[in-house]
Amino acid sequence: MLNTFQQASHKMLPTATADEAARQEFAKSLKGFVQSTLLPGLTPVYNTRVSQAFEKEHGRKPQNRRDIRNGMVKDAYFQHYAATNRIAQELLWESVNVSVDRQLPELIERARELSADTKAELRIPEGFVPPRYVTAFDIHCMPGGYCSEVAKDDVAAGALYDRGVFLYAMGYTGPDNDDMGRSVCNYLRRHMPDFKPRRILDMGCTVGHSTLPYKEYFPEAEVWGIDVGVPCVRYAHARAAGMGLEVNFAAMNAEETTFEDGYFDLVVSHILLHETSGKAMPRVFAEAHRVLAPGGMMIHADLPPFDLMDPFTQFILDNETWYNNEPFWGAMRDMDQIALAEKVGFDRAAVKFDTAPMAVMEFAAAADGYSQQAAEDVAEREFTAGEFAPGGGWEVLIARKADVAALAA
Amino acid sequence: MTDTIERPHVIRDAKGKRPQFYDTDGLDTAMSMIMVLASEISTLRDRLDSAERAAKAQGIDLAAGIEALVLDQEALEEREARRQDFLGRLFYLARKDAQEARDAETEAGFAKVIEEIAEQ
Repeated sequence: MLNTFQQASHKMLPTATADEAARQEFAKSLKGFVQSTLLPGLTPVYNTRVSQAFEKEHGRKPQNRRDIRNGMVKDAYFQHYAATNRIAQELLWESVNVSVDRQLPELIERARELSADTKAELRIPEGFVPPRYVTAFDIHCMPGGYCSEVAKDDVAAGALYDRGVFLYAMGYTGPDNDDMGRSVCNYLRRHMPDFKPRRILDMGCTVGHSTLPYKEYFPEAEVWGIDVGVPCVRYAHARAAGMGLEVNFAAMNAEETTFEDGYFDLVVSHILLHETSGKAMPRVFAEAHRVLAPGGMMIHADLPPFDLMDPFTQFILDNETWYNNEPFWGAMRDMDQIALAEKVGFDRAAVKFDTAPMAVMEFAAAADGYSQQAAEDVAEREFTAGEFAPGGGWEVLIARKADVAALAA
Repeated sequence: MTDTIERPHVIRDAKGKRPQFYDTDGLDTAMSMIMVLASEISTLRDRLDSAERAAKAQGIDLAAGIEALVLDQEALEEREARRQDFLGRLFYLARKDAQEARDAETEAGFAKVIEEIAEQ
Protein backbone atom coordinates (compact mmCIF):
# COMPACT_ATOMS: atom_id res chain seq x y z
CA MET A 1 0.00 0.00 0.00
CA LEU A 2 1.30 3.47 -0.89
CA ASN A 3 0.51 5.72 2.03
CA THR A 4 -0.34 9.16 0.66
CA PHE A 5 -2.48 10.27 3.62
CA GLN A 6 -2.42 14.03 4.15
CA GLN A 7 -3.41 15.95 7.25
CA ALA A 8 -6.32 18.35 6.85
CA SER A 9 -5.43 21.97 7.37
CA HIS A 10 -7.14 24.10 9.99
CA LYS A 11 -6.60 27.55 11.45
CA MET A 12 -4.16 26.52 14.20
CA LEU A 13 -2.08 23.96 12.33
CA PRO A 14 1.47 25.21 11.73
CA THR A 15 2.30 25.46 8.04
CA ALA A 16 5.46 24.05 6.52
CA THR A 17 7.79 25.38 3.83
CA ALA A 18 8.35 23.04 0.88
CA ASP A 19 11.54 21.68 2.44
CA GLU A 20 10.02 21.35 5.92
CA ALA A 21 7.10 19.48 4.39
CA ALA A 22 9.48 17.18 2.51
CA ARG A 23 11.40 16.40 5.72
CA GLN A 24 8.13 15.66 7.50
CA GLU A 25 7.05 13.38 4.66
CA PHE A 26 10.40 11.61 4.87
CA ALA A 27 9.95 11.01 8.61
CA LYS A 28 6.48 9.55 7.92
CA SER A 29 7.84 7.41 5.07
CA LEU A 30 10.72 6.16 7.21
CA LYS A 31 8.31 5.19 9.99
CA GLY A 32 6.15 3.40 7.47
CA PHE A 33 9.16 1.59 6.03
CA VAL A 34 10.36 0.47 9.46
CA GLN A 35 6.93 -0.98 10.24
CA SER A 36 6.12 -2.51 6.87
CA THR A 37 9.57 -3.81 5.93
CA LEU A 38 11.96 -4.01 8.90
CA LEU A 39 9.48 -5.04 11.60
CA PRO A 40 8.30 -8.32 9.99
CA GLY A 41 11.93 -9.46 9.75
CA LEU A 42 12.18 -9.60 13.54
CA THR A 43 10.07 -12.77 13.67
CA PRO A 44 12.35 -15.01 11.55
CA VAL A 45 15.44 -13.47 13.17
CA TYR A 46 14.04 -14.40 16.57
CA ASN A 47 12.76 -17.84 15.57
CA THR A 48 16.12 -18.88 14.16
CA ARG A 49 19.42 -17.49 15.37
CA VAL A 50 18.27 -15.52 18.43
CA SER A 51 16.27 -18.28 20.12
CA GLN A 52 19.00 -20.80 19.27
CA ALA A 53 21.68 -18.59 20.79
CA PHE A 54 19.54 -18.07 23.88
CA GLU A 55 18.99 -21.79 24.31
CA LYS A 56 22.71 -22.47 23.92
CA GLU A 57 23.57 -19.86 26.53
CA HIS A 58 20.85 -20.65 29.10
CA GLY A 59 20.08 -24.31 28.43
CA ARG A 60 16.38 -23.57 27.96
CA LYS A 61 14.05 -21.85 25.53
CA PRO A 62 13.13 -18.17 26.05
CA GLN A 63 9.95 -18.13 28.11
CA ASN A 64 8.69 -14.59 28.42
CA ARG A 65 9.15 -11.14 26.92
CA ARG A 66 12.15 -10.43 29.19
CA ASP A 67 13.99 -13.53 27.92
CA ILE A 68 13.21 -12.60 24.34
CA ARG A 69 14.41 -9.07 24.87
CA ASN A 70 17.58 -10.33 26.49
CA GLY A 71 18.40 -12.31 23.35
CA MET A 72 17.22 -9.80 20.76
CA VAL A 73 19.15 -6.76 21.99
CA LYS A 74 22.41 -8.50 21.06
CA ASP A 75 21.32 -9.14 17.47
CA ALA A 76 22.48 -6.74 14.75
CA TYR A 77 19.18 -6.92 12.85
CA PHE A 78 17.24 -5.94 15.94
CA GLN A 79 19.73 -3.18 16.72
CA HIS A 80 19.21 -1.67 13.26
CA TYR A 81 15.43 -1.99 13.57
CA ALA A 82 15.28 -0.41 17.03
CA ALA A 83 17.84 2.31 16.27
CA THR A 84 16.12 3.30 13.04
CA ASN A 85 12.71 3.33 14.71
CA ARG A 86 14.03 5.62 17.42
CA ILE A 87 15.74 7.88 14.89
CA ALA A 88 12.53 8.09 12.85
CA GLN A 89 10.75 9.24 16.00
CA GLU A 90 13.41 11.89 16.64
CA LEU A 91 13.42 13.11 13.03
CA LEU A 92 9.65 13.36 13.11
CA TRP A 93 9.62 15.77 16.06
CA GLU A 94 12.62 17.70 14.77
CA SER A 95 11.01 18.17 11.35
CA VAL A 96 7.87 19.65 12.92
CA ASN A 97 9.63 21.57 15.67
CA VAL A 98 11.46 23.70 13.11
CA SER A 99 8.12 24.75 11.57
CA VAL A 100 6.60 25.50 14.97
CA ASP A 101 9.61 27.52 16.05
CA ARG A 102 9.51 29.62 12.89
CA GLN A 103 5.86 30.55 13.48
CA LEU A 104 5.60 30.54 17.26
CA PRO A 105 4.73 34.22 17.88
CA GLU A 106 2.05 34.10 15.18
CA LEU A 107 0.63 30.80 16.48
CA ILE A 108 0.33 32.25 19.98
CA GLU A 109 -1.41 35.32 18.62
CA ARG A 110 -3.79 33.28 16.46
CA ALA A 111 -4.74 31.09 19.42
CA ARG A 112 -5.55 34.20 21.47
CA GLU A 113 -7.82 35.53 18.71
CA LEU A 114 -9.63 32.25 18.08
CA SER A 115 -10.14 31.56 21.79
CA ALA A 116 -11.49 35.07 22.35
CA ASP A 117 -14.00 34.46 19.60
CA THR A 118 -15.86 31.42 20.98
CA LYS A 119 -18.47 30.96 23.71
CA ALA A 120 -16.82 27.71 24.79
CA GLU A 121 -15.01 27.87 28.10
CA LEU A 122 -11.24 27.61 28.61
CA ARG A 123 -10.28 26.99 32.23
CA ILE A 124 -6.64 27.22 33.27
CA PRO A 125 -6.26 27.45 37.05
CA GLU A 126 -3.52 29.71 38.34
CA GLY A 127 -0.42 27.72 39.33
CA PHE A 128 -1.67 24.39 37.93
CA VAL A 129 0.90 21.64 38.59
CA PRO A 130 1.00 18.62 36.25
CA PRO A 131 1.73 15.16 37.73
CA ARG A 132 5.25 13.76 37.73
CA TYR A 133 4.44 10.86 35.39
CA VAL A 134 4.13 13.28 32.48
CA THR A 135 7.02 15.55 33.40
CA ALA A 136 9.73 13.06 34.47
CA PHE A 137 10.54 12.23 30.82
CA ASP A 138 9.33 13.80 27.62
CA ILE A 139 6.81 11.11 26.70
CA HIS A 140 7.27 9.53 23.26
CA CYS A 141 10.38 11.72 22.89
CA MET A 142 8.41 14.87 22.10
CA PRO A 143 10.83 17.70 22.97
CA GLY A 144 9.47 19.68 25.93
CA GLY A 145 6.66 17.18 26.57
CA TYR A 146 3.04 18.23 27.02
CA CYS A 147 3.56 20.79 29.74
CA SER A 148 6.59 22.98 29.01
CA GLU A 149 5.90 26.62 28.29
CA VAL A 150 8.46 28.92 26.70
CA ALA A 151 6.33 32.07 26.48
CA LYS A 152 3.18 33.64 27.88
CA ASP A 153 0.06 31.93 26.50
CA ASP A 154 2.35 29.36 24.85
CA VAL A 155 0.77 26.82 22.45
CA ALA A 156 3.97 25.28 21.03
CA ALA A 157 3.45 21.87 22.64
CA GLY A 158 -0.05 21.67 21.14
CA ALA A 159 1.13 22.65 17.66
CA LEU A 160 4.03 20.17 17.83
CA TYR A 161 1.76 17.37 19.01
CA ASP A 162 -0.98 18.06 16.45
CA ARG A 163 1.31 17.76 13.44
CA GLY A 164 3.73 15.28 15.01
CA VAL A 165 1.10 12.76 16.01
CA PHE A 166 -0.32 12.76 12.48
CA LEU A 167 3.12 11.72 11.24
CA TYR A 168 3.53 9.22 14.11
CA ALA A 169 0.21 7.62 13.19
CA MET A 170 1.18 7.96 9.49
CA GLY A 171 -2.27 9.33 8.84
CA TYR A 172 -4.02 6.12 9.94
CA THR A 173 -6.14 8.14 12.33
CA GLY A 174 -7.56 10.31 9.58
CA PRO A 175 -7.02 13.85 8.26
CA ASP A 176 -8.01 15.32 11.64
CA ASN A 177 -6.25 12.69 13.77
CA ASP A 178 -9.61 11.80 15.25
CA ASP A 179 -10.14 8.16 14.33
CA MET A 180 -10.20 6.92 17.93
CA GLY A 181 -12.93 9.32 19.03
CA ARG A 182 -14.82 8.77 15.81
CA SER A 183 -14.58 5.00 16.16
CA VAL A 184 -15.96 5.09 19.72
CA CYS A 185 -18.80 7.36 18.55
CA ASN A 186 -19.58 4.91 15.76
CA TYR A 187 -19.53 2.07 18.27
CA LEU A 188 -22.02 3.88 20.52
CA ARG A 189 -24.28 4.69 17.62
CA ARG A 190 -24.29 1.08 16.49
CA HIS A 191 -24.65 -0.60 19.88
CA MET A 192 -26.63 2.00 21.84
CA PRO A 193 -28.62 4.03 19.32
CA ASP A 194 -30.84 5.50 22.06
CA PHE A 195 -27.94 6.72 24.20
CA LYS A 196 -28.00 10.53 24.14
CA PRO A 197 -25.47 11.85 26.67
CA ARG A 198 -26.22 15.36 27.94
CA ARG A 199 -22.68 15.95 29.14
CA ILE A 200 -19.49 14.30 27.92
CA LEU A 201 -16.01 14.34 29.47
CA ASP A 202 -12.86 13.43 27.52
CA MET A 203 -10.02 12.74 29.93
CA GLY A 204 -6.45 13.40 28.77
CA CYS A 205 -7.65 15.07 25.59
CA THR A 206 -4.28 16.66 24.59
CA VAL A 207 -5.26 18.93 21.65
CA GLY A 208 -8.80 17.58 21.40
CA HIS A 209 -8.30 15.29 18.39
CA SER A 210 -10.68 12.64 19.70
CA THR A 211 -12.83 15.10 21.68
CA LEU A 212 -14.33 16.93 18.73
CA PRO A 213 -16.15 13.95 17.13
CA TYR A 214 -18.33 13.71 20.29
CA LYS A 215 -19.58 17.25 19.68
CA GLU A 216 -20.16 16.36 16.07
CA TYR A 217 -22.12 13.18 16.89
CA PHE A 218 -23.90 14.66 19.92
CA PRO A 219 -24.28 18.35 18.98
CA GLU A 220 -26.66 19.08 21.88
CA ALA A 221 -24.24 17.77 24.48
CA GLU A 222 -21.99 19.88 26.69
CA VAL A 223 -18.53 18.51 25.87
CA TRP A 224 -15.42 18.95 28.04
CA GLY A 225 -11.84 18.01 27.26
CA ILE A 226 -9.36 18.01 30.14
CA ASP A 227 -5.61 17.54 30.15
CA VAL A 228 -2.59 18.24 32.35
CA GLY A 229 -0.72 19.96 29.50
CA VAL A 230 -1.58 23.66 29.78
CA PRO A 231 -0.21 24.64 26.33
CA CYS A 232 -2.11 21.66 24.88
CA VAL A 233 -5.55 22.65 26.20
CA ARG A 234 -4.91 26.24 25.15
CA TYR A 235 -4.19 24.99 21.63
CA ALA A 236 -7.14 22.58 21.78
CA HIS A 237 -9.55 25.38 22.63
CA ALA A 238 -8.33 27.54 19.75
CA ARG A 239 -8.26 24.58 17.35
CA ALA A 240 -11.87 23.64 18.14
CA ALA A 241 -12.96 27.26 17.76
CA GLY A 242 -11.14 27.45 14.44
CA MET A 243 -13.00 24.34 13.29
CA GLY A 244 -16.31 25.89 14.30
CA LEU A 245 -17.06 23.64 17.30
CA GLU A 246 -17.99 24.85 20.78
CA VAL A 247 -16.12 22.51 23.06
CA ASN A 248 -14.92 23.43 26.56
CA PHE A 249 -11.37 22.70 27.65
CA ALA A 250 -9.65 22.79 31.02
CA ALA A 251 -6.26 22.15 32.53
CA MET A 252 -7.24 19.42 34.96
CA ASN A 253 -5.92 16.11 36.23
CA ALA A 254 -8.19 13.14 35.45
CA GLU A 255 -7.34 11.69 38.88
CA GLU A 256 -9.07 14.60 40.58
CA THR A 257 -11.34 16.84 38.54
CA THR A 258 -13.41 19.73 39.87
CA PHE A 259 -16.69 18.50 38.40
CA GLU A 260 -19.51 17.62 40.77
CA ASP A 261 -20.68 14.06 41.42
CA GLY A 262 -22.77 12.55 38.62
CA TYR A 263 -22.24 15.49 36.22
CA PHE A 264 -21.56 13.41 33.08
CA ASP A 265 -23.41 10.71 31.17
CA LEU A 266 -20.33 9.68 29.22
CA VAL A 267 -16.70 9.70 30.30
CA VAL A 268 -14.14 8.67 27.68
CA SER A 269 -10.39 8.62 27.20
CA HIS A 270 -8.18 7.80 24.23
CA ILE A 271 -4.60 6.59 24.66
CA LEU A 272 -4.53 8.21 28.10
CA LEU A 273 -4.17 5.32 30.55
CA HIS A 274 -0.75 4.12 29.36
CA GLU A 275 0.64 7.61 29.98
CA THR A 276 -0.42 7.68 33.63
CA SER A 277 1.06 5.52 36.42
CA GLY A 278 0.35 2.51 38.62
CA LYS A 279 -1.14 4.72 41.32
CA ALA A 280 -2.85 7.21 39.03
CA MET A 281 -4.70 4.75 36.79
CA PRO A 282 -6.98 3.36 39.56
CA ARG A 283 -7.66 6.94 40.64
CA VAL A 284 -8.69 7.85 37.08
CA PHE A 285 -11.16 4.95 37.11
CA ALA A 286 -12.53 6.03 40.50
CA GLU A 287 -12.88 9.63 39.33
CA ALA A 288 -14.70 8.54 36.18
CA HIS A 289 -17.12 6.55 38.35
CA ARG A 290 -17.65 9.52 40.67
CA VAL A 291 -18.45 12.07 37.95
CA LEU A 292 -20.74 9.66 36.07
CA ALA A 293 -24.49 9.89 36.52
CA PRO A 294 -26.32 6.61 37.28
CA GLY A 295 -26.56 4.61 34.07
CA GLY A 296 -23.63 6.55 32.56
CA MET A 297 -20.87 4.99 30.48
CA MET A 298 -17.09 4.95 30.94
CA ILE A 299 -15.09 4.05 27.82
CA HIS A 300 -11.29 3.92 27.67
CA ALA A 301 -9.69 3.31 24.27
CA ASP A 302 -6.11 2.25 24.87
CA LEU A 303 -3.67 -0.61 24.52
CA PRO A 304 -4.91 -4.17 24.84
CA PRO A 305 -3.63 -6.06 27.92
CA PHE A 306 -0.60 -8.33 27.56
CA ASP A 307 -2.52 -11.43 28.63
CA LEU A 308 -4.33 -11.28 25.29
CA MET A 309 -1.12 -11.92 23.31
CA ASP A 310 1.90 -14.23 23.01
CA PRO A 311 5.30 -13.38 24.58
CA PHE A 312 6.93 -12.40 21.27
CA THR A 313 4.15 -9.90 20.53
CA GLN A 314 4.47 -8.60 24.09
CA PHE A 315 8.19 -8.12 23.53
CA ILE A 316 7.63 -6.18 20.30
CA LEU A 317 5.08 -3.89 21.90
CA ASP A 318 7.16 -3.39 25.03
CA ASN A 319 9.90 -1.79 22.93
CA GLU A 320 7.94 1.45 23.29
CA THR A 321 8.60 1.32 27.03
CA TRP A 322 12.33 1.00 26.51
CA TYR A 323 12.93 3.12 23.46
CA ASN A 324 10.23 5.75 23.27
CA ASN A 325 10.06 7.29 26.76
CA GLU A 326 6.80 5.53 27.60
CA PRO A 327 7.55 4.44 31.18
CA PHE A 328 4.10 2.99 31.94
CA TRP A 329 3.44 1.41 28.52
CA GLY A 330 4.40 -2.13 29.52
CA ALA A 331 3.23 -2.05 33.14
CA MET A 332 -0.19 -0.71 32.13
CA ARG A 333 -0.75 -3.74 29.95
CA ASP A 334 -0.18 -5.97 32.95
CA MET A 335 -2.93 -4.26 34.98
CA ASP A 336 -6.24 -6.08 35.40
CA GLN A 337 -8.47 -3.32 34.10
CA ILE A 338 -11.71 -5.19 34.67
CA ALA A 339 -10.81 -5.76 38.32
CA LEU A 340 -9.87 -2.08 38.63
CA ALA A 341 -13.25 -1.02 37.28
CA GLU A 342 -15.02 -3.38 39.63
CA LYS A 343 -13.03 -2.07 42.58
CA VAL A 344 -14.16 1.53 42.00
CA GLY A 345 -17.82 0.56 41.95
CA PHE A 346 -18.79 -0.76 38.52
CA ASP A 347 -20.66 -4.10 38.48
CA ARG A 348 -18.46 -6.90 37.19
CA ALA A 349 -21.17 -7.83 34.69
CA ALA A 350 -21.27 -4.26 33.35
CA VAL A 351 -17.56 -4.17 32.40
CA LYS A 352 -16.04 -5.64 29.24
CA PHE A 353 -13.42 -5.32 26.54
CA ASP A 354 -14.63 -4.89 23.00
CA THR A 355 -13.35 -3.75 19.61
CA ALA A 356 -14.48 -0.47 18.07
CA PRO A 357 -13.87 -0.85 14.31
CA MET A 358 -11.67 1.87 12.81
CA ALA A 359 -13.65 4.71 11.29
CA VAL A 360 -10.86 5.40 8.80
CA MET A 361 -13.04 4.13 5.92
CA GLU A 362 -15.23 7.19 6.39
CA PHE A 363 -12.38 9.41 5.27
CA ALA A 364 -11.93 7.59 1.99
CA ALA A 365 -11.90 9.98 -0.93
CA ALA A 366 -13.16 12.82 1.28
CA ALA A 367 -9.69 14.03 2.25
CA ASP A 368 -6.38 14.55 0.46
CA GLY A 369 -4.48 11.33 -0.07
CA TYR A 370 -7.19 9.14 1.46
CA SER A 371 -8.10 6.99 -1.50
CA GLN A 372 -10.76 4.32 -1.11
CA GLN A 373 -8.12 1.66 -1.70
CA ALA A 374 -5.66 3.01 0.87
CA ALA A 375 -8.36 3.42 3.51
CA GLU A 376 -9.53 -0.15 2.92
CA ASP A 377 -5.96 -1.39 3.12
CA VAL A 378 -5.53 0.22 6.54
CA ALA A 379 -8.80 -1.10 7.93
CA GLU A 380 -8.46 -4.61 6.55
CA ARG A 381 -4.73 -5.21 6.44
CA GLU A 382 -2.78 -8.15 7.81
CA PHE A 383 -1.41 -6.59 10.92
CA THR A 384 2.06 -7.09 12.38
CA ALA A 385 2.24 -6.46 16.12
CA GLY A 386 4.19 -3.27 16.71
CA GLU A 387 2.60 -1.42 13.82
CA PHE A 388 0.68 1.67 14.73
CA ALA A 389 -3.03 0.93 15.20
CA PRO A 390 -4.51 -2.54 15.18
CA GLY A 391 -5.79 -4.17 12.04
CA GLY A 392 -9.39 -3.07 11.89
CA GLY A 393 -10.28 -1.82 15.34
CA TRP A 394 -9.38 -0.19 18.63
CA GLU A 395 -9.52 -2.12 21.87
CA VAL A 396 -11.94 -0.42 24.26
CA LEU A 397 -12.77 -1.01 27.92
CA ILE A 398 -16.45 -0.30 28.46
CA ALA A 399 -18.17 0.02 31.84
CA ARG A 400 -21.67 1.12 32.67
CA LYS A 401 -22.48 2.68 36.01
CA ALA A 402 -25.45 1.10 37.73
CA ASP A 403 -28.71 3.01 37.46
CA VAL A 404 -30.42 4.66 40.40
CA ALA A 405 -32.49 1.65 41.47
CA ALA A 406 -29.46 -0.64 41.49
CA LEU A 407 -27.34 1.91 43.35
CA ALA A 408 -30.01 2.23 46.04
CA ALA A 409 -30.32 -1.53 46.42
CA MET B 1 16.18 38.72 11.67
CA THR B 2 17.05 41.07 14.52
CA ASP B 3 14.13 39.88 16.62
CA THR B 4 15.35 36.30 17.02
CA ILE B 5 16.95 37.08 20.38
CA GLU B 6 13.76 38.59 21.82
CA ARG B 7 11.18 36.06 20.63
CA PRO B 8 10.51 32.69 22.32
CA HIS B 9 11.87 29.45 20.90
CA VAL B 10 10.66 25.88 21.19
CA ILE B 11 12.53 23.20 23.16
CA ARG B 12 14.67 21.18 20.74
CA ASP B 13 15.64 18.03 22.65
CA ALA B 14 13.56 15.48 24.53
CA LYS B 15 14.19 14.89 28.24
CA GLY B 16 15.02 11.28 29.13
CA LYS B 17 18.23 9.23 28.81
CA ARG B 18 18.65 8.06 25.23
CA PRO B 19 19.20 4.29 24.86
CA GLN B 20 22.32 3.00 23.10
CA PHE B 21 21.41 0.44 20.45
CA TYR B 22 24.84 -0.55 19.19
CA ASP B 23 27.71 -2.05 21.17
CA THR B 24 30.22 0.19 19.45
CA ASP B 25 30.41 3.64 20.99
CA GLY B 26 29.58 6.36 18.53
CA LEU B 27 27.70 4.16 16.11
CA ASP B 28 24.33 5.43 17.35
CA THR B 29 25.42 8.97 16.58
CA ALA B 30 26.80 7.96 13.20
CA MET B 31 23.56 6.17 12.32
CA SER B 32 21.48 9.22 13.25
CA MET B 33 23.71 11.40 11.07
CA ILE B 34 23.33 9.01 8.14
CA MET B 35 19.55 9.14 8.49
CA VAL B 36 19.54 12.94 8.61
CA LEU B 37 21.56 12.92 5.39
CA ALA B 38 19.09 10.47 3.88
CA SER B 39 16.33 12.88 4.87
CA GLU B 40 18.13 15.74 3.15
CA ILE B 41 18.67 13.71 -0.03
CA SER B 42 14.99 12.84 -0.06
CA THR B 43 14.13 16.51 0.53
CA LEU B 44 16.37 17.60 -2.36
CA ARG B 45 14.85 15.00 -4.66
CA ASP B 46 11.38 16.26 -3.71
CA ARG B 47 12.50 19.81 -4.45
CA LEU B 48 13.81 18.86 -7.88
CA ASP B 49 10.51 17.11 -8.56
CA SER B 50 8.72 20.30 -7.49
CA ALA B 51 10.95 22.34 -9.83
CA GLU B 52 10.02 20.07 -12.74
CA ARG B 53 6.31 20.29 -11.90
CA ALA B 54 6.36 24.06 -11.34
CA ALA B 55 8.19 24.55 -14.66
CA LYS B 56 5.72 22.28 -16.41
CA ALA B 57 2.85 24.37 -15.08
CA GLN B 58 4.55 27.30 -16.90
CA GLY B 59 4.83 25.29 -20.11
CA ILE B 60 8.45 24.20 -19.73
CA ASP B 61 8.98 20.44 -19.78
CA LEU B 62 12.12 20.30 -17.65
CA ALA B 63 11.84 16.55 -17.06
CA ALA B 64 11.82 15.75 -20.77
CA GLY B 65 14.60 18.29 -21.32
CA ILE B 66 16.71 16.53 -18.67
CA GLU B 67 16.19 13.14 -20.33
CA ALA B 68 17.03 14.54 -23.78
CA LEU B 69 20.07 16.54 -22.68
CA VAL B 70 23.33 15.65 -24.46
CA LEU B 71 26.41 16.53 -22.39
CA ASP B 72 29.20 18.36 -24.21
CA GLN B 73 32.90 17.95 -23.32
CA GLU B 74 32.88 20.79 -20.81
CA ALA B 75 29.85 19.36 -19.01
CA LEU B 76 31.37 15.88 -18.96
CA GLU B 77 34.54 17.22 -17.36
CA GLU B 78 32.71 19.32 -14.79
CA ARG B 79 30.60 16.39 -13.71
CA GLU B 80 33.46 13.96 -13.47
CA ALA B 81 35.48 16.45 -11.42
CA ARG B 82 32.51 16.96 -9.10
CA ARG B 83 32.01 13.21 -8.67
CA GLN B 84 35.69 12.60 -7.90
CA ASP B 85 35.70 15.48 -5.47
CA PHE B 86 32.57 14.11 -3.81
CA LEU B 87 34.04 10.62 -3.52
CA GLY B 88 37.18 12.11 -2.04
CA ARG B 89 35.14 13.78 0.67
CA LEU B 90 33.01 10.68 1.22
CA PHE B 91 36.14 8.60 1.83
CA TYR B 92 37.95 11.19 3.92
CA LEU B 93 38.58 8.67 6.72
CA ALA B 94 40.19 6.24 4.27
CA ARG B 95 42.27 9.16 3.01
CA LYS B 96 43.44 9.96 6.52
CA ASP B 97 44.14 6.31 7.27
CA ALA B 98 46.24 5.88 4.16
CA GLN B 99 48.07 9.15 4.78
CA GLU B 100 48.96 8.11 8.32
CA ALA B 101 50.20 4.77 7.04
CA ARG B 102 52.32 6.57 4.48
CA ASP B 103 53.67 8.94 7.13
CA ALA B 104 54.55 6.02 9.39
CA GLU B 105 56.22 4.26 6.51
CA THR B 106 58.33 7.30 5.79
CA GLU B 107 59.33 7.77 9.41
CA ALA B 108 60.17 4.11 9.91
CA GLY B 109 62.03 3.98 6.64
CA PHE B 110 63.98 7.08 7.45
CA ALA B 111 65.01 5.72 10.87
CA LYS B 112 65.92 2.41 9.28
CA VAL B 113 68.13 4.04 6.70
CA ILE B 114 69.98 5.97 9.43
CA GLU B 115 70.47 2.75 11.39
CA GLU B 116 71.70 0.83 8.38
CA ILE B 117 74.18 3.49 7.38
CA ALA B 118 75.55 3.71 10.92
CA GLU B 119 76.25 -0.01 10.90
CA GLN B 120 77.84 -0.13 7.51
